[in-house]
This record gives sequence, structure tokens and C-alpha cells, in this order.
Amino acid sequence: MDAYGGHGTQSGGAKTPGPGPASGPEPEGVAPDGAPPPPPAPPAPPRTGVAALSPRYQVGAAVALALVAITVCVHLGMVFLHVAPSNTITKAHGEAVDDWMYPEFEQNWKLFAPNPLQQNIAVEVRAQVRTAKGEIRTTGWYDLSAEDGRAIDHNPVPSHTQQNELRRAFDYFTNTHDSDGRPVGVRGTLSETYLRRIVVLRLERDGAAGPGGTVEQVQVRSRTTAVPPPSWSSEQISLKPVYRTMPWWSVPAEDGAGADRTQAVGSARDDVAGSARSEAAGSARTEAAGGAR
Amino acid sequence: MNRFALAFSTAIARVTEAARAPYQSAVIRIGFATTWLLFLLREFPHRSELYGPDGPWSWDLAQQLIGMNHAFTVLMWSDSRLWFETVYALAVVASAMLALGWRTRTASVLFMVGVLSLQNRSVFMGDGGDNVLHLMSIYLVFTRCGQVWSLDARRARRQDAARAQGELVVDRAGPALWAAAGVVLAAATALGRFDGQEWLVPSLLWAAWAAQALWWLVSRSRRAEQPRILLDVIGNLLHNAALLVIMTEACLIYATAGWYKIQGSRWQDGTAVYYPLHLDYFSPWPSLGDLLAASGIMVMLVTYGTVAAQVAFPFTLFNRRVKNVLLVMMMVEHAAIAVILGLPFFSLAMITADAVFLPTSFLRRLGVWAARARGRLFPRPCGKAEVPGPRRPAPAEQPQVGSTAQAGHT
Repeated sequence: MDAYGGHGTQSGGAKTPGPGPASGPEPEGVAPDGAPPPPPAPPAPPRTGVAALSPRYQVGAAVALALVAITVCVHLGMVFLHVAPSNTITKAHGEAVDDWMYPEFEQNWKLFAPNPLQQNIAVEVRAQVRTAKGEIRTTGWYDLSAEDGRAIDHNPVPSHTQQNELRRAFDYFTNTHDSDGRPVGVRGTLSETYLRRIVVLRLERDGAAGPGGTVEQVQVRSRTTAVPPPSWSSEQISLKPVYRTMPWWSVPAEDGAGADRTQAVGSARDDVAGSARSEAAGSARTEAAGGAR
Repeated sequence: MNRFALAFSTAIARVTEAARAPYQSAVIRIGFATTWLLFLLREFPHRSELYGPDGPWSWDLAQQLIGMNHAFTVLMWSDSRLWFETVYALAVVASAMLALGWRTRTASVLFMVGVLSLQNRSVFMGDGGDNVLHLMSIYLVFTRCGQVWSLDARRARRQDAARAQGELVVDRAGPALWAAAGVVLAAATALGRFDGQEWLVPSLLWAAWAAQALWWLVSRSRRAEQPRILLDVIGNLLHNAALLVIMTEACLIYATAGWYKIQGSRWQDGTAVYYPLHLDYFSPWPSLGDLLAASGIMVMLVTYGTVAAQVAFPFTLFNRRVKNVLLVMMMVEHAAIAVILGLPFFSLAMITADAVFLPTSFLRRLGVWAARARGRLFPRPCGKAEVPGPRRPAPAEQPQVGSTAQAGHT
């Protein structure tokens, strides 16, 4: 059933006598003097390769060979152009490359390049909760990234929920928002809903609302701290954390599910989700060296 | 001119008469499938948060994004909890099937469906390791990666032995799997589940299904020898082409990672490696990072060595010995990354991608050791003396033993 297994390559593997289609015709050939064809040859081990094919089938093999060869060349060329920096060809034919690569072959291998990330970006959140008694209360800041960090510490197999979820969600958020924190396009709205749902989930786990309380609004801020330069370096950079605070977001009763359903405008290509997906293991986002904000 | 023609026809014979590099393709099959299997098992407690309908990246959010990028995922077929659990379980089963090489081609298709469905459902959960698996799961579908080290190969041996003794061999599992797959595919197509998605994966699924039927028909008929050989030739072609793509992809990964690093000031001043060791998200063992970062000269050597190795890697394939040295370096570096940066699944995927360049002689020895270890762990009841030794590929592969540089040229 499977196209694997004992046929062809497994059992036979006949060393074909001639190397290519041009060489010696197989016994199927018509006898030169028009005599009746010779009796079928005794059962030989199954033969393989184009040399074992009659001319008619060799045409089929040649077509298959050409198709496969062309597809491979085009695909490899496209992958190359996709991972290469913007250049003469991609400036002119970038759309063709994108059409070929997205959505399934998208990739990004700028691993820790051109520069590794040199800042710790922590995401913090606080909430406005309605307590069981009906009072409105504002909680302190919860450092969700520190929670992630503690979960990762001494953990040989960190979960994607600890290592990627919040980190990449915030990355996606900053990529789809302008410097004033306003969403850019549909993706901006998507990323905002996503980030809000993550922080609400985490606040629930931390029991921020207290027994019987509900989270009504959340506020997110990021704290960016430069990694101190190595001890042997004479570099001087500011280690003072830089905060960026978002506006308060109200939390819908059903926690946003369906709230943004109407926004799905079928825009064309997916570049942001694209670059976001594969921004590889080490969070390839880079700032200019030493550019701790 | 004549020499050129001869070389050309030799090359054609090489890529059509056999599925090259059986051990390398087996090792990447086992590696990628095992990586994904371990990942799925590790994330089992977190599966709903990552991919479930009520996770933070909710079904509705995913629906909107997929409405724009048209990626393939069966998880958008329904927002029910039961469907999600079923798909997750099937992804686990498919990975195990593929790792063991049971119904390998079918398993590879199911594996791809599992990987794409989960990853495309929540693109923002993944990292570089997921990206590698995503691509390789598609490429693996085209390979004959079950020729050795697989349950399929064992079954084929037993069936051949049975046939030699005149027994009638009937396969039930194969047609059953095929029929079930056909029902699901037909239902999905009829219900329009593939409509919003890009044509690539659905047509690949149908093509694989049809090819299985064709292969089965042609293998059964005694009179269809020529069509059978033609299909075999096409199968070999696809396998060899996919293997070439996998190898090139691995080279492109290293080349991209290396060449972009050269442009970075931190890779130039020799401190780059220090920084990831001090990121909270990538330092599971802070004291280990401190220890490694204690010496500026050490850090600089590792920094420069990493860039040099990554940039050089594709070019070393032209020299077998240099390639093997670099391969060992790459694997060691990835093993270190697994521990130090807390990226075990990314590292496992990369080590597997490296393994496609391992020498056949080494892989065969590895097979013998594995078989011996298994024999020691699970001694077989006597009487059934099956030689567990190296599982031999087709005789056509024999001349290739010991040379992997060839693998790179297929």
C-alpha cells in the first residue's frame, strides 16, 4: 500500500546495464528482421531507472524529470530570494517571491543577527477590579515577564507558554502599533486583543481580582532595561529602565471572544504575521548596538 | 561533448534508479518526528493555552488572521473542544507512526497535517525550531524515508520471506488507512473546508492519496511492469529532489544566520555571545551563563567561531573530511544551545537537519550499535533468530557506502 517497502529499490536494485536513456535498448525492442518478438525473458529481479523503461515510458520519465528539476530550481531560487536581503531582483519581483513563499514556506533565519537583543523587555500589567462587595480597586503592577523568567529558571524544557507566548505577543503588539500606541490596521487590533487576553488570563491565575471579584480594566506597560555591558568592557550605557505605558483597556465580559469578529477585512498578503512567525528562536529583533533606549 | 553526455546520462541514472541516501533520510525522519512528538508531549498540559479554541489566541482571532493569510489548518474546521483534542491526539499518533516508520508515507502526510494545523493555528507561539519543523514536515512527504530503520522495512523483509515460502501475503491495514483518508478528504472537500485555504496543501493531500492508489494497482498487476517502473522512477526522482531541497535548506539556514551576523557590530567586536546569556527569557541557568561569560577571550572565540562556522558550512560540503569536522562542531554547538539558552526543541530540530549530512558508514555503525543495545535491553526469546544487524538497503546503494559527499550531490 505504501509506496515504500520492498518493491523496486528494496528487492531488486538491478544494476542497470547502461547508464542512460541513450544506451542499449531493452529487450522489448522489435527484432530487426521483423521476426516474431522473442519469448518473454525469464523473470529477472525487478529493474529500475529510466534504462529499464521502453521508449514510450521514457518520454513520461523525461517529462517527470523536467518538471521536478524545474520545480526544485524555482523553489530553491525563491527560498534564496526570500531569505536574502532586499535586492535588485526582489525589488522588482518581490510579489512573485511572496506569492510562492507564503504562507507555508515562510522562514527567517536571522538568528541573533545582525545583533543579538541587548535589552530585557519586561511586560507588566495592573488591573482595575470590582471586588465581591462592589468596590472598584486598582491593583499593583504584576511583572508577568518575571513570572516567565522564574518558570524558565532551572527548567531544562521551558514551555512555549513561558518562553514565547507573552514575549512574542508583545513583540507583535509593538510591531503593529505606532509610537503613540495606536493600532495600525487590522493586525493592530488583533494583536491588542491577543495581548489583552494573555494578561487577563495571567491576572486570573495570579488571583488579582480576589475571591468573587472581576477584572474590569487592564493596563499594560513595558519596562526595557539594557543588559549591562560585560565586565571586561569599558562601555558606558544607561541601565535605567525605560517605561512605556499603554492606555487602559476595558475587558469585555466574554473576554473579547468575538468582539473583533467584524474586523476581518480580507486584506491581501500577510507580511506582519509573516515576519512575526519566524522571528526565530532568539528573538531576532535587534536594535542598533548599545542602543538601549 | 561526449564526456558531457555521458556525465549527464550517469546523473540521470543516479537520480532515477534509486532513492539515494536511505540512512540519512531515515535519520531525519526519526529526528524530526521525535522532536515534534516530544514537543507535543511536553506541551500536553499547556495544549489548550497554545492551540485550543479558548486560548489567548482564540479561535476567532485565528479565524481573522487565516482569513488574510490562507494558511492550512484543520483546526479551523470547527471551534469545538472535541475536535481540537482529536487533532492534537492525531498529531501525537502521526509523529509516533512516522518515527517508527509504520506506513511511512501515510504517516508523513498525517505528520505534515498535524504540524501545519497546530502551528498555523497559533503562529505567534512558535520559534525557530517550529519553523524548521514546519518546512521539513512538508519536504518529508516527498521522500522515501522508510527504506531502513522502519517497521515498514521489517514488514517488507518478512513479507518477502513469506512469499519465498509460497505463503499468501494480504495487507489489510494499508487499504483501510487509504479508504479512511479518502473518506475524510472527500468529506472535507465536499463541505468546502479547503475553500478559504491556499491550494498547495489540499492538492498535495489529494495527490498523495491518488498516488498511493496508483502504486497499489500497478504493484498488483503482473502486466503493468512498465508503469510500475515509471512510478518507481518518479518516486525516486521526488525523493532525491526533496533530499536536495532539505540539504539546501539546511545550508541556507546556516548561510543566512552567518552572513547576517557578519553585519552586526556585536559579532564584530566579539561580545555577541555574551548578550543572549543575559536575557531573562533565554537563561535557564544564570550561573552557567555567568561562568561562560566570565572570560572575554572565551566569549570572543566562541563569537568568532560561530560566525566562521556558519558562513563556512555550505562550502565545506565539497570536502568530506572538513565537512565532518564542521558537522560535529555544529551539533555540539546546538547541544550547548539546548541547555544554555533553554531551547531544547529548536536544538533537536537543528541537530536533525545537520544529520542529513552524516556519513553513511557512521550511520550504519550507529544502526548496529542501536540494534545491539536493543538486543541487550530486550533479549529476544530464542527460536526466532532474526539477525538484528545492519538493515541493508538496496544493493544499488552498496557502492555508496562510506561516502556521503555523494549524498550532497544527488
